[in-house]
Amino acid sequence: MASAGGSGELFVVGLSWRTAPVAVRERLAFRDEEVAPALADLLGSPDIDEAVILSTCNRVEIYGSTPPAQPGGSAVVAAAVARSFLARSRGVAAEGLADHLYERVDVDAIRHLFRVAAALDSMVVGESQILGQLKGAYGAAARVQATGAVLGRSMEKAFQVAKRVRSETGISRGAANVSSVAVELARRVFGDLDGKTILVIGAGKMSALAARHLRVAGARSILVTNRSPEKAAELAAEVEGTARPWAELPALLAEADVVLSSTGATQPILDPKLMKGAMKARRWRPLVVVDIAVPRDADPAIGKLDGVYLFDIDDLERVVSENLKERQKEADAALSIVEVEVTELRRWLRAQRVVPTIRSLREHFHHVAMGEAERCITGLGPQASAADVEKAIRRMSELIANKLLHTPLSALKATEQDLDTMVQVTQRLFALTDAPEPAPAAAPEPLIQGKKG
Amino acid sequence: MTDATVITVAPSPAFYVALILYGVAALLYVSAFVEAPRWMVPAARWALLAAFVTHGIDIGWRGVLHVHPATSVREALGFLSWVMVGGYLWWAWRVKLAMLGAFVAPAALAILALARLSPSGEPMAGLSALGRVHISLATLGVAIFALATAIAVMYLFEDRSIKRKEFDRVLFKRGAALETLDRLSHRLVVIGFPIFTASVMLGVVWGAQRAELLSRPEWWIALVTWASFGGLLVARTTHGWRGRKAAVLTIMGFTASVAVLAIYLARRALGG
Repeated sequence: MASAGGSGELFVVGLSWRTAPVAVRERLAFRDEEVAPALADLLGSPDIDEAVILSTCNRVEIYGSTPPAQPGGSAVVAAAVARSFLARSRGVAAEGLADHLYERVDVDAIRHLFRVAAALDSMVVGESQILGQLKGAYGAAARVQATGAVLGRSMEKAFQVAKRVRSETGISRGAANVSSVAVELARRVFGDLDGKTILVIGAGKMSALAARHLRVAGARSILVTNRSPEKAAELAAEVEGTARPWAELPALLAEADVVLSSTGATQPILDPKLMKGAMKARRWRPLVVVDIAVPRDADPAIGKLDGVYLFDIDDLERVVSENLKERQKEADAALSIVEVEVTELRRWLRAQRVVPTIRSLREHFHHVAMGEAERCITGLGPQASAADVEKAIRRMSELIANKLLHTPLSALKATEQDLDTMVQVTQRLFALTDAPEPAPAAAPEPLIQGKKG
Repeated sequence: MTDATVITVAPSPAFYVALILYGVAALLYVSAFVEAPRWMVPAARWALLAAFVTHGIDIGWRGVLHVHPATSVREALGFLSWVMVGGYLWWAWRVKLAMLGAFVAPAALAILALARLSPSGEPMAGLSALGRVHISLATLGVAIFALATAIAVMYLFEDRSIKRKEFDRVLFKRGAALETLDRLSHRLVVIGFPIFTASVMLGVVWGAQRAELLSRPEWWIALVTWASFGGLLVARTTHGWRGRKAAVLTIMGFTASVAVLAIYLARRALGG
């Protein structure tokens, strides 16, 4: 790191689905109850001041910050500590991990955190789980006092960035998994799903999940039917629906607006004859049929019927991939939001690093000046003449200047390495110029002279 | 040409502004079909609203000069497109109808331009009050049907797009929900039908007064329009006809009404 001292800096060490296969990720994952002891272990190191452990099925990461105002403890050192901690605590050979681990410090760590929070680094771009997981990880660390100003501020900011990205870009638009696509397709036909009825045929987990998504989207009731009444009752209890006898299927088809089918049948259940009857009974109100079963439950011919909109598992997957493509396009806009926020947080963090120095500098100057003032006043006594006072003030000013200059000047003189740097820093700090240059004259004249020469 | 006809023909400056604004709105709506930035649809909507308002000013201005929408087929057409756009705007702020704008805005522009270019600007001789009411109501009815038809066409396109599973097409991604379109179209037919019925009845009386022959083709075509929409309303309530079938009937009825207008225009142009 170029910045000497490197105090209060952010770092992250970890691996994700991008860098490590699941076999490695699962070995590194932290169970919830392992997090607190691990944090205590990490904070035991003098190089790490704050830490958060994020452990999900797609990533294991340690976020941390170096101690403030402690010279020498740089983020790179802290990251190395975290790196060896990971290997040690998980009982994995450090060499085996090296290829999978990544580490980022300072701005890059901030950027990484923001991208993770905004689900830009997720396997499914724009997914909403990661933000909750990150909040959980931060909460768990905060509970054991493993976080402070630097990480706290960074995390809060990351949550804000995630929210901004979500609301200002289309990164979370469109269903990203097969079970929620049914909602999207039903919306294309019905607009909103308020008051619509869902029929689940068969006991597939996927259709149960899809039914729940539809309910969240506003559907009123869920009907469940199955050849086996027990299974129907079981699933109905699970999705808070109503189990109905298999024999009622034609009537159920007339009642429902969205049909989710996933039976183990080898022959199509929803054939044109059955559907024609159902459509007539429902007076041709539109019907969305989502066939998740393989082999398919619905005869493809029913998709040609007026008012029947049939989708099979391939269609659902196509919609998902289409949506993901759209999300990827939105990712660019999201990244530029992230960049803006990174700059902002970085500015704040830098200011934080200067604050302690500013405070002690101020105190030091104040102390010196006040000490001299006191001495001067007591030295003068009550009967001092105006001339004495003038003399005393001049002397006091001289003393203050000398005292303040003493330490920096001796440091400057004693400097052996980086002398140029020290000189430059001093000049910049006090706005000095080496050889006083002539005040910049009115621009055009010297220019012309220059040309002549 | 007498002074009176000059006044009849000269449109107000507002008319040209409206024409340009319709053009802008049409362009914006049509471009919104393709990969469009998000501001485009609202911009198109505002442009269309501005066009609607200026067009309204033009109609009002001509009204002051005694050139009412009911005085000639040309004025009637202008009025028709105005009503259609007004109806569209009414819904455009509530429902996702941007794609429909791509039909309505160019249609309004075309109707308006065609009406102005048509040579039948002179007021009809001996136009009675009854005739004026007939023309006004017929225009209003057809304008409402025109909107219903535009929505029906949208419906058919979208229905096909969804059935063909064109998930990557703009029609699938940006269109309004099928049921919404179906409901809107139906509502418009419900509003338009009584108005149109009244105008047909007045037309019969007016025609009888002028001793027109019932064998004129426009009578029969007008009857087709009336029967299509009437039949549609009946079939919808009794047999639950909706969606594709309803859309096809709506388009049929509207096509017939356009044919009637075309015959009128031709007849006026030929001085019949």
